[in-house]
Parts: sequence; structure tokens; C-alpha cells
Amino acid sequence: MSDSRPPASPSRGQTRGRSRGHTRGLWIAIVVILVPAIVIPLWVPLYDKVDPRLNGWPFFFWFQMAMILFATSCTVVAFTLSRIADRKDREARGASAGQGRVGE
Amino acid sequence: MNAVAVSVFVFLFLLVTVLGFAAARWRKAKTLDNLDEWGLGGRGFGSFIAWFLIGGDLYTAYTFVAVPATLYAGSAVGFFAVPYTIVAYPIIFLFLPKLWSVSHRHGYVTPADFVNGRYDSKPLALAIAVTGILATMPYIALQLVGIQVVLDVMGMGQDSGSWFVKDIPLFVAFAVLAAYTYSSGLRAPALIAFVKDILIYVVILVAVLYLPSKLGGWGHIFDAAQTSFDGFNKENADAIAAGQVPGKAMMPPPVAQWAYASLALGSALALFMYPHSVTAVLSTKNRSVIRRNAALLPAYSFLLGLLALLGFVAIAAGVSVGDPPNPQLAIPQLFENEFPSWFAGVAFAAIAIGALVPAAIMSIAAANLWTRNIYKAFIKRDATDAQEAKQSKVASLVVKFGALVFVLAFSKQYAINLQLLGGVWILQTMPAIVVGLYTRWFHRWALLAGWAVGMLYGTKLAYDVPLPGDPTSHFGGPLTLIPGAETTKIYIAALALVANLVVAVVLSLVLRAMKVPEGTDQTKPDDYWADLGDEDVEPELDPYAEPHR
Repeated sequence: MSDSRPPASPSRGQTRGRSRGHTRGLWIAIVVILVPAIVIPLWVPLYDKVDPRLNGWPFFFWFQMAMILFATSCTVVAFTLSRIADRKDREARGASAGQGRVGE
Repeated sequence: MNAVAVSVFVFLFLLVTVLGFAAARWRKAKTLDNLDEWGLGGRGFGSFIAWFLIGGDLYTAYTFVAVPATLYAGSAVGFFAVPYTIVAYPIIFLFLPKLWSVSHRHGYVTPADFVNGRYDSKPLALAIAVTGILATMPYIALQLVGIQVVLDVMGMGQDSGSWFVKDIPLFVAFAVLAAYTYSSGLRAPALIAFVKDILIYVVILVAVLYLPSKLGGWGHIFDAAQTSFDGFNKENADAIAAGQVPGKAMMPPPVAQWAYASLALGSALALFMYPHSVTAVLSTKNRSVIRRNAALLPAYSFLLGLLALLGFVAIAAGVSVGDPPNPQLAIPQLFENEFPSWFAGVAFAAIAIGALVPAAIMSIAAANLWTRNIYKAFIKRDATDAQEAKQSKVASLVVKFGALVFVLAFSKQYAINLQLLGGVWILQTMPAIVVGLYTRWFHRWALLAGWAVGMLYGTKLAYDVPLPGDPTSHFGGPLTLIPGAETTKIYIAALALVANLVVAVVLSLVLRAMKVPEGTDQTKPDDYWADLGDEDVEPELDPYAEPHR
């Protein structure tokens, strides 16, 4: 890996193909869960209106406050999944310990 | 001047200052005469303290003073701070564990270390370091404005012809900040963060529960704000049509939606590239802590949203902020009018201390950047520990003086513009840092050229924005017209970043075709996934040690 150019394939594929294979789906799920928490708050036309009001709050304001709760739920779920994925990665790595780091 | 409020304020402020100096002795530091002790607080912080520290970084005079002020003033896009803090955490969740891993495997302490290791380019690392220091200054300036307005509302620095008398609160704020960070480094803000967060939570909860109910409920408050803005727009219809005065609104009109979204995204991306954020992130124990913080920190966002709306509460309460109006005074004045005087004192102390702590953390982080990536990399390679610590202390003072210059030289009409100007600059480091975490596709010289173009273009655009009603003035706002559009504006940082990326992409292709050497990458793909317990992963970063392969 002393080549200065990056590998053409996704970076982790080359060195950790085996251990990442188990958790690739989980890491993709984490990204999929987080994307709406980034995209929806930035999609201003979606919520830039007064009605429907909630308890006197214009939609614009209560929707964004609600988005905080939504985004928090997303990050909490993603965090939980990341713990599982990390543990599986660790186990997979433990199994191959003693052979040195793959790719060196 | 209210004697009770002032007494309570002074008492709490002195308490904190004493704590700050006592912090120098906290947890038995043997000496502060080296960069390690002074700059990273001895590296022993657990995740609990780290959580408070990060909160201290994020919720500041920006939250208490600058954001509510923009809503109070009827700037339609002021509420962007809420989507900003929403999207920041998922982004942190995705990017920063990679930075943690590669940094802990190679001993990188700053973003400039990473860039140097990744791209084998000292000039690029220098550019990253300089940008971090420069961009931190207006952010600290915002905190100084926060302290200043509190002192102002309490009656210090009455109207006077003399600029010096008028700015006494500013100089007092500056002196306190400088004195206590100089003596006790990062320990001071860490210990104070506890006191600060308790004070702030109490004040916020009282403010967002007590004030709206006292003033007739949130529904009434929104109506009062709308009525006030409608009245203003009607009264000043001619001036608004002539472009001398901006119209007021609660929510962005369709033409301002791009501005709203770009301010939010730009601020969120900028947030974690500031030197102080990187310091906080790298000082956590493992990758998982970063993700857990990203999951928990939005608790602060809810309070930020409610605090922002205090700008409307101030309108409903009939707060007036002088002539010419200084919207920054709105929240302190609201507290002064509506709270019993002893609690107003508590609230003022919360705001002032809430500005002091992040200002201290920011100036220390910027100072470390100077010492490690400029002084030691270019000026004196064999510097001793004591020399490094001395450099950091002096640099942190210089950074604070820089902030003072920003406060004095720039319009304080909207203090938030100071922070947004910092964002324009810091965002230009994104291609090297964030993209660099994923791929080394960009050529190092192309990144440097893109950075230079982004910095110059962004600064030029910001310089060309006049204050409303004063066509000869400069640095009047964060927005500019999208090229080719007639009315749609966008955050200058986004436009400068696009220019930066275009230059970087084109030049990367050209330089690669010309086979210009790309340097050696110190990092391996594996490094970006490493976690505590893996081979060669340092649990704690040593700011003295050189980065290694």
C-alpha cells in the first residue's frame, strides 16, 4: 500500500473485505437512516407555510421543532446499529488476529 | 442600573473567575508549562465532561444573543439556526469517526496534521492552519459582543461621545477572557462548563416556560410579532420599495428559501471544521463516543429553537432597543424588563459566562494550531516544551486581539454575520479535510489552488455586500445573488465552495495528466476504520509527538 494513488475500489474493500462483508448491510442501513434527517430539514419549500397551525404555532416553526425529535430518533437508531456493526467488525477481526493486518 | 441584578451578576461572575483560576490546580496538574497540559487539559477528560465541553462550544452567545436578535429584527431567515443544528449531528455522525480513527492511528492533533499526512503537502497544511486561525477570530468576536450587550443593558458604558467610554463593556469582557485563559488553559473552560450549563439550563427553562405564559402564550406571541412586522412594513413601504430598509418577516418568502437552506447547510458543514470542534472530537475516548454525542446533542437544539423564539417574545413584551436600534440588546433587555431583578442578574451571568467559555476554548484551539502547524513546522523545528507552551499562550492572546479588531471594525447590526463570515472561510477547507477522509482523488496542488480561489472569491463577495441603507459600506451580510439569478440569494460560503471545488476538480485532471508528483500518502484505507484497542491506535493523542506513519 505504499502506492500514493488510492485503490480504485471502495477503500475498505481491499483490506477488510472479509470482515466488512458481514456488516456492510448494517453500515448502508445507517446511512439510509441518517439521510432523511439531513435532507428534510433542508427542504425548505416543504414546510415554509403558516398552516396548519398547532396550538398557535405556525407550521413553519412547529414542524422544524418536530424535526429535532425526528432527527434525534434517527441518530439514536443509527447509533444503536453502529454499536452492533462495530461489535461484529471487532469479532470478525478477532478471528483473523495473529495473521497480521490484512493488506500489509 | 439595577443594584440587585448587578450584585448577583458580579457575584456569579467572580465565582466563575475564581473557579477558572482554581482550575489550574484541578486534578493535580504538575505544571501548565507545556502545551499538553495547557492546551488539552491533561487529556484525562471522560466522555461526560467531554459532553459538557462540546455543549459549551455549541451553545453560546450565538444562541442567546445573535440568533434571537435576528428574529427580533424580523430577518426572515433567522430561524435557519434550527435546521443548522438539526443537520449538523447526522453529518458529524457520518464524517468524524473517520477523522478520529486516522488521527489516533497517526498521532494527528489538528486538521492540518491530517492534511499534511494525507497529501504530503506542507503548503496545503499551512493553508488549513491559517484558515482555522482566521475563521476563529470572528466567531470569538461574536462571543465578545454577547458579553458586551449584557454589560450594556446592566448600565455599564452609557451613551457617550467617546468611543472608549462606549466600548468599556467590550474591553472589560476582553480583559477577563484574556486573563483567565492565559493562566489556566483548557481546564478553566472545562470546569466552568458545569457551572455555566447549570446556570444556562435554569435560565432557559424559566425563560421559555415563564415568559410566554406571562405574555399570553405562544399563539399570542406569534400574532404579536406578525402584527408588529406588518405595521413596520406598512409604515416604511416607500423605503422598503426603494431598498433602503429591509422588510420584516417571520418566515422566509419563497425567494429566500435557498438562502435559508444554504445558511443551514453551510453552517452545519463549517461547524465541525473549526479547530475547537476538532480538538473536542479528537479528545473523545473512541469512535463510539462521537456517535453517542451526535445522538444526544440534539437535546440542546430544542432549547436553541425556543431561545431563538425569544426574539418574538421580546416583541410581544414591547422591548425597545434604542435608536438607532441594536437588536442584539433584545434578549438581555427582555430579561431586565420581565424578570425579578435578582433573576435578571442570574440570567446576565449565564449569558456572559456562556460566551466566555466557548471564546476561551476557541482561542486555545486556534493557538495550538499556530504552535503546532506554523511555529513548530516552519519557524522553530526543535522548540522545547516550554517554548511551545509560551507560543500557545501568546498566540491565544493574539487571536483574541484579532477578535477585538473584528468587533470594532465590523457592523454589529447583526452579530450573527461575524460567525457567518468565519463560516465562509472555514468552509474552504472542506475539500481537503472532508473529501480527503474518503478519497485522495484531488491533487494536492489543485486543493491548494481551489482553497485560494474560494478564500479570495468568498472574501470579495462578502466585502461587496453593503449594509441596508448604506451603499458604501462593506461586510453587511452573509448573502449574495446567485450568479445569473435576479432575486434569489444564497450563502456566500456555498458559492465560494462551488468555485473552490470547480478549480480543484479541473486542476486535478490537468495536473494528473501532466504527471505532477502527488506525494506519498501516509495513511492506509484501514486507518479510517480503526478503533480503540486496534493495533497502533493511540488512546490519547500526544500534542508534542510528531505525527507518524
